[in-house]
Amino acid sequence: MGLLSILRKLKSAPDQEVRILLLGLDNAGKTTLLKQLASEDISHITPTQGFNIKSVQSQGFKLNVWDIGGQRKIRPYWRNYFENTDILLLPVFSVILVDKLAAEDTLTGRIQPSYSTTLLLNLLQEVAELAELLDEEKLSGVPVLIFANKQDLLTAAPASEIAEGLNLHTIRDRVWQIQSCSALSGEGVQLPSDMATTFMAEGQRGGTADGMNWVCKNVNAKKK
Amino acid sequence: MTISRKSLILITLVRLFCVCVEATPGRSGACAEALLGRCYGNGTEARRRRRRMKLRRLLLRYYPPGIILEYVQGGEPKTRSIDLLDLSPNTDAIALVEEIGKGEPLITASCKEHIIRLVQRLQEKLEEKEDHKFYLFKVLRAHILPLTNVAFNKSGSRFITGSYDRTCKVWDTASGEELRTLEGHGNVVYAIAFNNPYGDKIATGSFDKTCKLWSTETGQCYHTFRGHSAEIVCLSFNLQSTLVATGSMDTTAKLWDIEKGEEVVTLSGHSAEIISLSFNTTGDRIITGSFDHTVAVWDVGTGRMLHILIGHRGEISSAQFNWDCSLIVTGSMDKTCMLWNAMTGAHIATLTGHSDEILDVCFDYAGQRIAAASADGSARVYNAETKECIAKLEGHGGEISKVCFSPKGNRILTASSDKTARVWDAATGHCLQILEGHTDEIFSCAFNYKGDIIITGSKDNTCRVWH
Repeated sequence: MGLLSILRKLKSAPDQEVRILLLGLDNAGKTTLLKQLASEDISHITPTQGFNIKSVQSQGFKLNVWDIGGQRKIRPYWRNYFENTDILLLPVFSVILVDKLAAEDTLTGRIQPSYSTTLLLNLLQEVAELAELLDEEKLSGVPVLIFANKQDLLTAAPASEIAEGLNLHTIRDRVWQIQSCSALSGEGVQLPSDMATTFMAEGQRGGTADGMNWVCKNVNAKKK
Repeated sequence: MTISRKSLILITLVRLFCVCVEATPGRSGACAEALLGRCYGNGTEARRRRRRMKLRRLLLRYYPPGIILEYVQGGEPKTRSIDLLDLSPNTDAIALVEEIGKGEPLITASCKEHIIRLVQRLQEKLEEKEDHKFYLFKVLRAHILPLTNVAFNKSGSRFITGSYDRTCKVWDTASGEELRTLEGHGNVVYAIAFNNPYGDKIATGSFDKTCKLWSTETGQCYHTFRGHSAEIVCLSFNLQSTLVATGSMDTTAKLWDIEKGEEVVTLSGHSAEIISLSFNTTGDRIITGSFDHTVAVWDVGTGRMLHILIGHRGEISSAQFNWDCSLIVTGSMDKTCMLWNAMTGAHIATLTGHSDEILDVCFDYAGQRIAAASADGSARVYNAETKECIAKLEGHGGEISKVCFSPKGNRILTASSDKTARVWDAATGHCLQILEGHTDEIFSCAFNYKGDIIITGSKDNTCRVWH
């Protein structure tokens, strides 16, 4: 990787290269998603201190995906990475959007007791922080794909509820899409071609809709 | 015994680059005066010449080996250096000084003895046995995001670290204490430098498109240089410490006046990002390496492009002058390094052998060897004279992103994505030590001037100091 490779990925992307920014709160599953895209081992993932960059080939495009850590202390530095972004990916921990009461009900006996109401409220506030992202000048007009992640959890809210919680319908200045997925299992995230075909053959992937398809479609539109 | 032409030529008018050790402090001046006095006996012509220039002091420079003459001409104090780049422990010091004396009016018969002693001291220094083992001294955890570059001041008493957290920090080498945080950039602090040999100023280049000039002592920001329209990714002071050059992703480089805080000139001509730049020793030329596959040689005074070095078939990763400003070495993504004549811009040789991109390339101080680091996980050492590969440094488990020689030139330091830095014997290519401990890839590394301290900067947000 090295500093030089970072510069190469930083430069204005040629037609066949796409700069994708992967942002989200801590524990949203950004690094898992990234590694899943690059078909790397996802068994040992620790909180991201700095950033990870991976290049993924998809539908004739070279996708340079930047995964920026989500911890609170790092969040002010997100805007270091905004310039020249083609697509924004926002994985969200689908549970956080369940409303307070429902959350208390749902959580009983399901999630660690430490998942208290206050924590949930904090997370809700942080959702507001995410929304602020969309107001950033440097990201204006950048298509955004929200991954309603962690669908493998029983308590996960469906994508439609999350869309409602995030008020996605109010977004008018850019193209957006919400996609439910499980970064852990790879469901809803397109896997690199060889694995994807395996999955297709086994019929494990539900439907044809997946995140990366959408990304490539939008890139195509943009690069033309 | 080898006294090659190179050891004698290049009596360049440069300010002292290295921290010079004063030879026989206090006495040398008097000695020189005395011997100048004695010279007046030698005929009228010689007398006339020597009256114009009066030797004041002789200074020793260890790396690269040289002797600095401080003299007065027309009432003005001046210095010039006699570079002894080819000096080795086997060189015949007496014959060498004899040879130097022929081309240097300041060196008279009576001060030769003294100069011979200085040359012998340089030889002793070169011969000194080194079996220094490096141990982890400190882990510095003050940055909260990955580090970019690291740099020592000349004496090695301080060093600086740049980071993605938008700061540059100044550290005390001996204690590992953080002395100062230079805050003010709005984005990643990527390129950093001390104005060596002075070290009283620091320049920082940022992804926020500006370059800032700071006081090392107080941390005060003297100037913010604005004008680039994209990230600044490389910078350098000239050795005279009058200018800062910045290279940017906006395809241009700019020269800035340190005193006035103003732009002097924009070097435009590249068609892609500039990612490497280097002044020559005398400060009248600067080279820029670009992703457009070329390197340009510019006249510093006028900002005119003098040569464009075309030949590489991939992006340039690094470009550097050798000490005597005669050669330029370039490294490229095309897996090769090239040597060029710095005066004419002519291609001299292509250094091949690596099986993947060259990520960094450098000369040793004396300009006799070249080290190239590659994405293939190995580094190679080439003889700058014969262009032959003299050593292969193999062992890293990932690409090598940085390579540098120890100031003496006998050791090489490499930084790799395998999370280790390694110290190698430059002559044999043997790995002498593996510096382990970083938990993520290492982006940058540096030796201090004495060659007994190493710093490494990593993506793991830490800087490690090895004594």
